[in-house]
Amino acid sequence: MNFGVTMSEEILLGDEAVARGAIDAGISCAYAYPGTPSTEIYQTIQDHVKEHELPVRGLWSTNEKVALEEGVGVSYAGRRCLVAMKHVGLNVAADPFMNVAVAGAHGGLVLAVADDPAMHSSQNEQDSRYFADFAMVPCLEPGDQQQCYDFTREAFDLSEQLQVPVLLRLVTRLAHSRAAVTLGAPREQNVANYVADPSRFTLIPSNARHAYARLIDKQPALQAYSENHAANALTLRGEGKPGILVSGLGWNYLQEAMGDLLDGYNLLRIGVYPLPVKKIRQLLDASSEIWIVEEGYPFIERFVSALGLMRERPIHGKLTGALPRMGELDSDAIKRCFGLPVNLSLQIPGLADVLVGRPPRLCDKCPHSDAYIAINEVIAQYGPGARVMGDIGCYALGYLAPYQAIHSCLCMGSSIGMAIGASHAGMTPSLCVIGDGTFTHSGMAPLLDAARDNTNIKVFILDNSIVAMTGGQPTQVTDEEVVDLVAGLGVPREHIRVVTPSWQKKEQTLATIREEMAYNGVSVIIARRACVTYAKQIKLYKRACEEQTE
Amino acid sequence: MNYDLVLCGVGGQGVLSIAWVIDHAVHEAGLHFKQSEVHGMAQRGGAVSAFVRISDQPVASDLIATGAASMVLSMEPMEALRYTQLLRPDGWIVSDVTPLENDAYPKHDALYKVLFSAPRLVVLDATRLAHKAGTVKAQNMVVLGAAASQLPLPTELLEAQVQELFASKGERIVKANISAFRIGAAASAFATALLAAGVPSTVLARVLPLLAFEPQPVPQAGVDAWCRRLLATDGAQTALRLFEAGVTLSPESLPA
Repeated sequence: MNFGVTMSEEILLGDEAVARGAIDAGISCAYAYPGTPSTEIYQTIQDHVKEHELPVRGLWSTNEKVALEEGVGVSYAGRRCLVAMKHVGLNVAADPFMNVAVAGAHGGLVLAVADDPAMHSSQNEQDSRYFADFAMVPCLEPGDQQQCYDFTREAFDLSEQLQVPVLLRLVTRLAHSRAAVTLGAPREQNVANYVADPSRFTLIPSNARHAYARLIDKQPALQAYSENHAANALTLRGEGKPGILVSGLGWNYLQEAMGDLLDGYNLLRIGVYPLPVKKIRQLLDASSEIWIVEEGYPFIERFVSALGLMRERPIHGKLTGALPRMGELDSDAIKRCFGLPVNLSLQIPGLADVLVGRPPRLCDKCPHSDAYIAINEVIAQYGPGARVMGDIGCYALGYLAPYQAIHSCLCMGSSIGMAIGASHAGMTPSLCVIGDGTFTHSGMAPLLDAARDNTNIKVFILDNSIVAMTGGQPTQVTDEEVVDLVAGLGVPREHIRVVTPSWQKKEQTLATIREEMAYNGVSVIIARRACVTYAKQIKLYKRACEEQTE
Repeated sequence: MNYDLVLCGVGGQGVLSIAWVIDHAVHEAGLHFKQSEVHGMAQRGGAVSAFVRISDQPVASDLIATGAASMVLSMEPMEALRYTQLLRPDGWIVSDVTPLENDAYPKHDALYKVLFSAPRLVVLDATRLAHKAGTVKAQNMVVLGAAASQLPLPTELLEAQVQELFASKGERIVKANISAFRIGAAASAFATALLAAGVPSTVLARVLPLLAFEPQPVPQAGVDAWCRRLLATDGAQTALRLFEAGVTLSPESLPA
């Protein structure tokens, strides 16, 4: 088997290091749904596999739930698989995640999940360590790009050794930061060997009780693994000294902020979960007080401080206000926490008067702009109270000026369900917009509801033939396929209308929307025009699709 | 040795390409680095930045602390001001002078007045100089060239990586980008010489964007002539008058 790589050093993003770690760990398959900051993981796998003609299969899956289920199938067949997604994607995949934890892995199954503290490109800051804890599976939390590579490789071994899926938790600042990474020799792929006992993966209650008992029985082994792991490093410098418990990227900022001052502290670094309770006990026993520094939620702090109830030792962290509760950590926050001065910086008088924000905006000639102009013009006649449920994608920028055309953006696929509920509650008209990618991710099920119920909602599918916001991944269906899909869900063909969002076709678009607004029932208006930014990729994808069907 | 650098601009201006060149040059030089960047929705015409942290020791944090950066290298004059909190009090700003306007963009006069008051500043018309080098897309390489002499790296290593980055795009594009890089380097050498001679930054900033630099250093006679002119008692008025006229000038000789 030619893996195309030998021992070498390369400059890699954290995401890329995870991808290369997975390939070198001998994955046979990989699945993902794009989402910042995780997108580059599967993108890299795909590119590397293609360039080196590796026997690794994979997909940009329809959504994260499907991606993980595909991954579980690979594991069932005895081979290794990486599944990648952003933090909120794990909500979508929560059902298979919680249950494959119970069933256990057969072939190595690793879930790389990228959290987004500070919400650079997300709607929340949820911390995936909670999910690992909830599912009772190990979580590895790399602190630098080299650990991204090393931990990914290790996660596959751990998954097979203890027969559990393993969660690899990344954060934006690591996923999207580059450094030199030393790559090791690749491992051969597993030979397919289907799980011998199908009851393991057949979680009818009688089997599930046994499986759950096995998961509980695995906990001491997971605990021992964590206690003995080199990444959970305890350094005791003396009885009665202050202590610091630090995890993930917190360690980087701590070193930067404190330098040699750290020599005066007892220190426990954590990179592997479940929490190493014996080492935490030793740190607490040896230290006068404890600071807890972690990127994300106060996950460790809540456990160790028993929600702040523990009086044995003073504990300082995000719950106590010593560190900011929201956003990303940085070395300045840690300096402030320890009462150290922050550096002076260049002061330029008058700067505040000439510096304005520069939020992202829809590209020039973007088809979404024309769709919003038309929707705004039609709904203006319903008064200022008319509402449009929005969804996730570039078109969420329609919330901002100059369009201000959408009035919600909750989670992937939410627009249609919210429009149904709002309509039932008496909101008229009830409109929503959803992109072609988001529609197939999780908009089909609510549209099925609307079609069965013939709810009076107007669904705009903004079909730009690509998943644009995350960098131009292929969309599952486009053009006439969208029409057929919508019809298949039960929307009458006469109320599936296709318009071209452009200034030249504006009058026709307005007329079509007005006709459907007059209809009391579910209508789907497809605003079809290809993304201008990814026009080249769209042509390539369409050509590839045609070749496949020929 | 620690050298923190902020790269910034607007989505689509080639900030990440500059980062790529510096990363690979740093790696070739055997130094340690971490380089964080912005992906995702911000790239749709929003403000983008990348942080490069270079050291002879392993680098811990991916982020730059307040007052730690030695330079802000910007593709756009207002964006240059967005990250000054990260800049050391003696830090440099290297920026293109061409505004990329958005809603609520400040009046140019007011913006320039603030930016040009920065004490260590190299501001140039990278957009026009790139056009001269062969492609306006090489704007980022002009700005990188203008920063090169300050970076803790041999200029040849940077040039080699510029070559590498554009190799797949053909000889013409490689040449244009190398030329853009050298034009930027010539501009910054000229600027550094005048600042060292005592020309105030605010005065120089009004002249530098007007000068049509070549991809080789400005002859000493030109440097000396501009020095004398701008250090004269009416130097500041001259600079202001030239800036308002906005005509292209030669760095090798004084205007009539």
